[in-house]
Amino acid sequence: MAEVIEQRRMAAPSVARPGRAGWGIAALVAPAYGWLTLAVFLPLGAMLFFSFLKAAPFGNRTLQYTLDNYFAFVRRPYLFDVAWTSIKLGLLTTAICAAIGLPAAVALARATHGRSRQVLFLLIVLPFWTNGLVRIFSWTMVLREGGVLDYLLHLVIPGAASASLLYSFPAIIIGLVHAYLPYMILTCYLSAVTIEDAHIEAARSLGARLPMIFWKVVLPLTAPGLISGAILIFVPVIGSFMEPRILGGRVGVTMGTVIEDQFVQAFNWPLGAALSFTMLAFVLLIFAASSRLLSGRVGAQ
Amino acid sequence: MTGVEVVSIGKTYGEVRVLDRVSAAFGAGRLTSLLGPSGSGKTTLLRIIGGFVAPDEGEVRFGAEAVTHVPLWRRNVGMVFQSYALFPHMNVEENVVFGLNRRGVRGEAARKEVARVLEMVRLQGLERRKPKELSGGQQQRVALARAMVTKPRVLLLDEPLSALDRRLRQDMQVELRRIQRESGLTTIFVTHDQEEALTLSDTIAILDRGRIIQEGNPAEIYERPKSRFAASFLGDANLFTGRVEGDAIAIDGGHIRMAGKPPEGATVTVAIRPEKMRIARAGEDALPGENRLEATVKEIVYAGAVSTYLLERGGAQIKLIAQNRETQAATIGDTVTLLWSPTHTVLLQE
Amino acid sequence: MIVLGRSYLLAVLAFLYLPIGVMVAMAFNASALYTLPIDPSLHWFAVLAENGPLLAATRNSLLIACATSAAATLLGTLAALALERRQFRGRSLLRILLLPPIAIPWLITGTAMLVFFFWTGIGRGIHAMIIGHVALALPYVVLVVGTGLKSLRADLEEAAMSLGSTPIHAFFAVTLPLLLPSVIAAALFAFAISLDQFVVSYFLSTPGVSTLPVEIYSSIRKGFTPEINAISTIFLGVSTVLVLIFAQLSHLGGKVDRR
Repeated sequence: MAEVIEQRRMAAPSVARPGRAGWGIAALVAPAYGWLTLAVFLPLGAMLFFSFLKAAPFGNRTLQYTLDNYFAFVRRPYLFDVAWTSIKLGLLTTAICAAIGLPAAVALARATHGRSRQVLFLLIVLPFWTNGLVRIFSWTMVLREGGVLDYLLHLVIPGAASASLLYSFPAIIIGLVHAYLPYMILTCYLSAVTIEDAHIEAARSLGARLPMIFWKVVLPLTAPGLISGAILIFVPVIGSFMEPRILGGRVGVTMGTVIEDQFVQAFNWPLGAALSFTMLAFVLLIFAASSRLLSGRVGAQ
Repeated sequence: MTGVEVVSIGKTYGEVRVLDRVSAAFGAGRLTSLLGPSGSGKTTLLRIIGGFVAPDEGEVRFGAEAVTHVPLWRRNVGMVFQSYALFPHMNVEENVVFGLNRRGVRGEAARKEVARVLEMVRLQGLERRKPKELSGGQQQRVALARAMVTKPRVLLLDEPLSALDRRLRQDMQVELRRIQRESGLTTIFVTHDQEEALTLSDTIAILDRGRIIQEGNPAEIYERPKSRFAASFLGDANLFTGRVEGDAIAIDGGHIRMAGKPPEGATVTVAIRPEKMRIARAGEDALPGENRLEATVKEIVYAGAVSTYLLERGGAQIKLIAQNRETQAATIGDTVTLLWSPTHTVLLQE
Repeated sequence: MIVLGRSYLLAVLAFLYLPIGVMVAMAFNASALYTLPIDPSLHWFAVLAENGPLLAATRNSLLIACATSAAATLLGTLAALALERRQFRGRSLLRILLLPPIAIPWLITGTAMLVFFFWTGIGRGIHAMIIGHVALALPYVVLVVGTGLKSLRADLEEAAMSLGSTPIHAFFAVTLPLLLPSVIAAALFAFAISLDQFVVSYFLSTPGVSTLPVEIYSSIRKGFTPEINAISTIFLGVSTVLVLIFAQLSHLGGKVDRR
């Protein structure tokens, strides 16, 4: 027991400096957390407060409290459709990313080595850190009437009517998948590297063919990656408004765009706040469920 | 050069009493080993002496000065870490000169000191190398040089040889001894390897579970262990427990004598070192006053210069080490007579 | 099997880079239409130089990114030092508190900032965007510097102190030099995050003051002008260079190799 304590102490030495430790730590973390409080926690609190108001408290209006905003779904049934659209986007995007991303991750983990793997890895991660807006914009180039897709179509079938995939539901999906695919590849890759040759060989020696190997070996080992990737994708997607607006036009009405409208056009900030917190609650639920799912899996392993 | 003293040091981590009223004196200019198993508190004691950790109770003295509350960076100690802790972004010279610079010694004077100490550890010419370009043994010597160059009041070594392979270890033990003698620094050395302690030390202090079990020079502790722990930890020992009857100790099926009178009527434990016994040859009689016991040979481990005999007597194991001077004394399965002098029967106090 | 895997990967990469490739190609194409052959020209880059609002927005973006990087790196490094090096009660709580900026959808954080800043008179504009960007970058800085600290051996500072360094001197002489690559990497990270940030900037911008991504967004909504391709290409180039430097510093590529 004592040696465990000794070893632990080696990792984080406490040199004999009585008393000042507490102040030192406070001084170190205060600036950062003070900033976070100002920029994130207080604003969230303010928005929570707003969500219970009838109208934004500007111009010396008296404050009127109401729960109406949280019953928005009841009062404005079209919001159910909107919410459903958001969820549909989330599920579809996640599913497609999983379908494309998992094989890619497995391929990266098992079919590439050394230098080429490093390069490929970097190439996959790179779009990630380029401007999301720029990427969406570039999709409009491809999908619009007169765009690349249209051009290619006319190459193959000259005389066909002008095609534009833009301003449609599929366009939004394409944009979203393109934006979030690297997330899934990354998380699945981190799981996929744990698959060792020994696992596959053992399965093969027991007579398993490819589909079985996938089902029994690859899938269980990459499950944590799939789950975390799903979370990383689903949550931002249901709140997205850039892709729906730019790629979906009139079709692109999601929770994200509705909330954005409240703040930028309709100026119904309390409603926007309430809708935001409703979404936040939903997001937290997902996090809670997924962390239980993930730790359960880890425990099972 | 002054000695170091610790008085009644106590330290508790959480619920574990890592050191319990430990007092010891470390002679000036001598090398003392703190020897004990993992968790005995030896490293903690070393770190308290160095000032890396503050004791809960007790005092640390360098000579006549109480340094318990002097912060680490003012204590002027030299520490060689188990992992060497060489600064990776500095080369050998910069590493060694670090402490000198802190004390205001710079430029030419500093360089001379660095050269002197590098020569002492036999690393001249490697000043420009970075730690990662050095072998384990070389890194160790740099760590030693760095700790010694400021002429610290005490040199502390925390299991510095444990990362080296056997051959290198043995060579370094001899080197370390030489360097320590040349420098004349008061040195405290932590190790769990009893052979190392025996080889290097002027004094050994054995620790077990936060207490000093026994302190003394190697021969003293080896020949006259005071406790069961000391007897078994430092070398091997054959232990016998029995009641004192008259002048001897009665064990089942026999008597054991020791030099001097055992305490009347008590139940005692005695220890006999394996090399002190011998196997009686055919026709050989015990010398007058010698102890004798019968046992059966179970196993013989041949190791070139010596052979270890594992014998059994009434369900208990006895170990005997004999030089292979002549033909083997017995074979497996033989029942033999073991003989030894009563002066080698050590009465344990605990 | 391996060939199949590699081909598939390349196909995925093609998908990822297709629209980007098109955009970059069009930036250098004299014609605004999508017909081949591409007529190489820097025409649109020249037009770009005339586009006042776009240039102003770019200036703002760079300014904000620099300020964000400086502030976030400083604050984040200090916090990381405390969180990684010391055990203290409440440490896990503080760690968890770093999650909201990244876990909560930016839409929500952005609108919340808008609400709060407007209400409290902090207002919108460059200073508001800096406040927001720093908050979003902080968790990443703490993560990057924290990871660097983890691989830093604690006994080095102890060794320095045993040789006569006060704790502060030990930090500057030993820890900081070894931590520098991580700190620089974190600074670049923060810079890139700020440069790319759209959502929060969008809500905190005013008609006269916006950043490059926001300006691009308005341009897209208003109607397409080809110099957007040009500026986007430049943008892409800068972000790429930053990411590559960052990857080099944090050995991102190196960690990947397991065979």
